[in-house]
This record gives sequence, structure tokens and C-alpha cells, in this order.
Amino acid sequence: MNCAETPQPEILVRGLKRAFGKVEAVRGIDLELQAGEFFAFLGPNGAGKTTTINMLTGLQRPDAGQISYQGQPFIKSSYSVRRRIGVVPQHNNLDRELTAAENLRIHGRLFGMRGRHLQERISACLELAGLSDKRDTPTSTLSGGMKRKLVIARALLHEPNILFLDEPTAGLDPHSRRKIWAFLRLINQEQRCTLFLTTHYIEEAEQLAERVCFIDQGKIIASGSPQELLEKTGSYVLDIYQDEDIENEFFSERSSAMARLAQIDSAVRIRQTCLEDVFLQLTGNRIEP
Amino acid sequence: MLHGARGIYLREILILRHKLVKTLLASAVSPALFLIAFGYGVGRGTSVGGQDYLSFLLPGLLTMASMNQSYAIATEINISRFYFKVFEEFLIAPFGRWQIVLGEMGYGITRGLIPTAIIALYSLFCGVSLHFGPAFFLALLLHLAIFALLGILAALIVRSHADQATVNAFLITPMMFLSGTFFPLEKMPWAIKAVASLFPLTYSTRLIRGTLLESSDVTALLYLLLIAMAATLFWLCCHLVEGVEA
Ligand SMILES: Nc1ncnc2c1ncn2[C@@H]1O[C@H](COP(=O)(O)OP(=O)(O)O)[C@@H](O)[C@H]1O
Ligand SMILES: [Mg+2]
Repeated sequence: MNCAETPQPEILVRGLKRAFGKVEAVRGIDLELQAGEFFAFLGPNGAGKTTTINMLTGLQRPDAGQISYQGQPFIKSSYSVRRRIGVVPQHNNLDRELTAAENLRIHGRLFGMRGRHLQERISACLELAGLSDKRDTPTSTLSGGMKRKLVIARALLHEPNILFLDEPTAGLDPHSRRKIWAFLRLINQEQRCTLFLTTHYIEEAEQLAERVCFIDQGKIIASGSPQELLEKTGSYVLDIYQDEDIENEFFSERSSAMARLAQIDSAVRIRQTCLEDVFLQLTGNRIEP
Repeated sequence: MLHGARGIYLREILILRHKLVKTLLASAVSPALFLIAFGYGVGRGTSVGGQDYLSFLLPGLLTMASMNQSYAIATEINISRFYFKVFEEFLIAPFGRWQIVLGEMGYGITRGLIPTAIIALYSLFCGVSLHFGPAFFLALLLHLAIFALLGILAALIVRSHADQATVNAFLITPMMFLSGTFFPLEKMPWAIKAVASLFPLTYSTRLIRGTLLESSDVTALLYLLLIAMAATLFWLCCHLVEGVEA
């Protein structure tokens, strides 16, 4: 049925909408993810990232729109699809009294795993997360970074093809954040897992993602590889300091930026464009105010 | 088969292990206080409906205390849903959501067995002979299932911890006292009788006391009534859990 040249996208989303009373959290989102992709959904707080992930993972119902996984429509009883999905929620929802291994064991049982296979997967996932020595430690005593890794390891336990991560490093210190980034790259490359990550950290999207979607007020406002997004806006930018404000001018070539620089009398600085500039240019607002 | 319900049951039992001492104490202390206050303080030497008051009281304490433990899962589900959000782990897993109801119900029944065992011990100390036969265990199972399901129902309807406390104050506590647990309903004014007739505890207490004392209160109709209540509550919980969102 499927032509070999046009593989079904891993995830296909059309016209996804969701409102909470008068708040339109998600206002018509279209998405396409290919297998193995590392995708970032970048937007400020309240943009609709969590609501989107919740609809994609069956935790909230869309008001309108379609979601399909490998061409299969995603509905409540799509248990085979659920088995292919791993979810890392924004909140570390671990059972605090239970040990790291017990938390994984329960997840495995909920996904129908048992016996030797389950034991092996628990060891493998703890190992992957670097938490083998915390196996029998109650999770309430783990550090923030370790808890986060354990939640990620738990989501991987049933060997999903797609991993959703909602703000995986929010609230972590820079050191732990970098460790999580390395962990995510490993998962994407060695486990060949499709990664769908939301973040409001520009650096996180720039560092990790092959493709970035900007979301603002429930709508996707731009998407592409970080490189493409930067080039579309102009890879070089002049910060022109005026009284209280900074004005930006974008250039594709360094030479034209330099030429313009020479004409300006006020304080001015040339630098490379970053995704923050792209977002600011598109919306007039900063992601991290 | 039923991996969802069993996984949830396992989770609850693993957590129960960590608060076993607290649960045991809670199950032991308050019935003991009631036993002292009502049994020895008030009821010594009195007889109720042809039997001594202690024989009347102990089955009532059993249904009251076991109801409290089974129903107490409401608070836990509430916390796991709104505060720690562990409930989301159940919602994303690949099984029908009715299995959540089944797993939690199993847990509520298990918790209700703890005070049951403790009060069986008390009855030995008091020298009251109770009859723990199959008729009792069937009635107990239905009784515990009903209150576990009521706990699940409360957790699914109620939005916060504060609301939960309100339900407890206006529904559970009156039910505890007015369902013929400590005093025979026959002596109550008609208004209380009318209210009591709405409480499931009234019927499960009558049946369980009947089985323990081998009285003529044990009727097929009472069993059928409890079965119907449990089935209705199960259906209602399954219906509501379908609508639950993160
Ligand atoms: N359960 C809810 N009830 C009411 N409003 C909600 C709910 N969830 C999200 N919202 C609102 O929807 C918008 C998008 O929220 P969310 O998806 O959490 O954004 P993000 O994850 O990007 O920060 C926000 O304005 C938020 O207040
Ligand atoms: Mg969010």
C-alpha cells in the first residue's frame, strides 16, 4: 500500500486545537515528524507546548484536528501506538517512597512487561541513565538532575520509538542541564529514538535539535533547522544602541553588515544571529523575558 | 491479562508497605477507643435486641473501621492525581481505563482487611464469639468494594484536597454514626432513619452483623442490594475515569 519512496511520517498532525474555557491554548497546529528526527518545540511559557504534548500522548482530548502515528489514527484505544510512545512530563512524577528500581518496575508492569525481560530492561535503563548505583535508593533522596534522568529512563523502559520530553531541563543547574543534553543525544543516536522536546531555553533547541518549531500563543510561527531559521532572518546582525533601546538590522553577508556598520555613528556591535533574534523578529517579544 | 489493574495494585501495595505501621495504628486505635467508650463506658450490662451490647457493637466497629480504610484511598488518589501527578503514568499506559478502577478497588479492599483482622482480634479479647463464615466474607467483600469504589468516585469528582475534606465532613462522618453501627436504628427518630436509609453503610452493616451473629437479618435481598450498589458504582467510576485529563 505505502510507496517505498514516501514513508509514512512518524507523527502527522493536522489542525490540532484545544481551548480551556475562553483560553485558546492551541489554535490549529500542523506537524510532521520523520522517524529518527530530533525535534524541538520552542516557545515562551503559556505558548501551548504542554497542551500539544498532552494531546499527542492521549492525556488531553483535542477539540479538533487529527493525530496519526505512522499513518495510524491515534485514538483512545490505540494501545499499540501507546506502546511506541514514551512520555517525560514537565513534572517529575515519581513515587517518592519507592526506590529507583521499583519505580521502573511498576512502569514496566503497566506496559505489560514482566519476568526476566523486565529485570533486564530495568538494569539496562538504570545503566543508560548512569543510575545503577541508585537502584535501591528511594527517589525522594535523589538530586534534581538524577530524578530527571530517572524519569527519562522510565519512559525508555518499554523501548518506545518516540520519546516526548516536556521541558526536560527546566529548573536544573547548568551542569545538570548539560548532562541531560548528552543523555538525550545518546538516546537519539544510539537508541534511534525519535525525540520530540519542548523547551523555552533557546540554547537547548540550538544545541540539540535538527529541526525547531517556534510556537507562540498556540500557533506555529516558523519552523526549520536552526541553520535555515538563522539564514532566513540573516546570519549577521547589528545591535544599534539608541537611547534606551537596541535596534537590530539583519544581513545575509558579513561584508554587507560591515559596510552598514561603517555608516553608523552611534554605538554599534556586530554579531552572529541567534534563535532569540529570530523569535524576536517574528513576534516582537523575547522568549525568556 | 489485566496487566494495568495488576500493575496499579502492585504500586499501591509497595507504597502501603512504607506506611504499614501508620495504617495498623490508625486501624487499631480508633476502634479501641470506641470500644472502651461505648462498650464499657455506656453499654456495659445493657442489651440490644436480645443480645448484649458488645456483640452488637463489635460488628458495627468492624464495618465502620473497614469502611474508613477502604474509603481512605480517595485522599491518596487525589494527591497522586493533583499533586505528584503519578496518576498520569496510569493514563498513558496501554490498557483500558476501567483497569485503573479495578486496580484501585483491589487496593481499597486490601486496606479494609487490616481493621477487619484487628477487630476480629478484639472480639477474642472481649470474649464475644463472632461467626466468620463464607456468608460473612462475601458480605465483607461487597462492603469493602462499595467503599473503595466510593473513594475512587470521590477522587474522580472532587477537584482538590479541601473539597475532599468537605465530603468527609458532610458525608462520611454522618454515615459512620448514623448507619446503625453504634446504636440500633430502630431507636432513632424517623428523620434519622430516613437519612440512614440512604447510606450504603446501613445495609452492609445490617448484613455483616447478621452474618457475624448468625441472625435472621441475612437475606438474599440484602446481598443483591449490595451487589447492585457495587456494580453501579463500578460502572460510574469507569464512566468518569474515561473523561479524566492531565
Ligand atoms: N487545564 C487548564 N485549564 C485552564 N487553562 C489551561 C490549562 N492548561 C493550560 N492552560 C492555559 O493554556 C495556555 C497554554 O498552556 P501550556 O500548554 O501549559 O503552555 P506551555 O507548556 O507552553 O507553557 C496557557 O495560557 C495556560 O494558562
Ligand atoms: Mg509547559
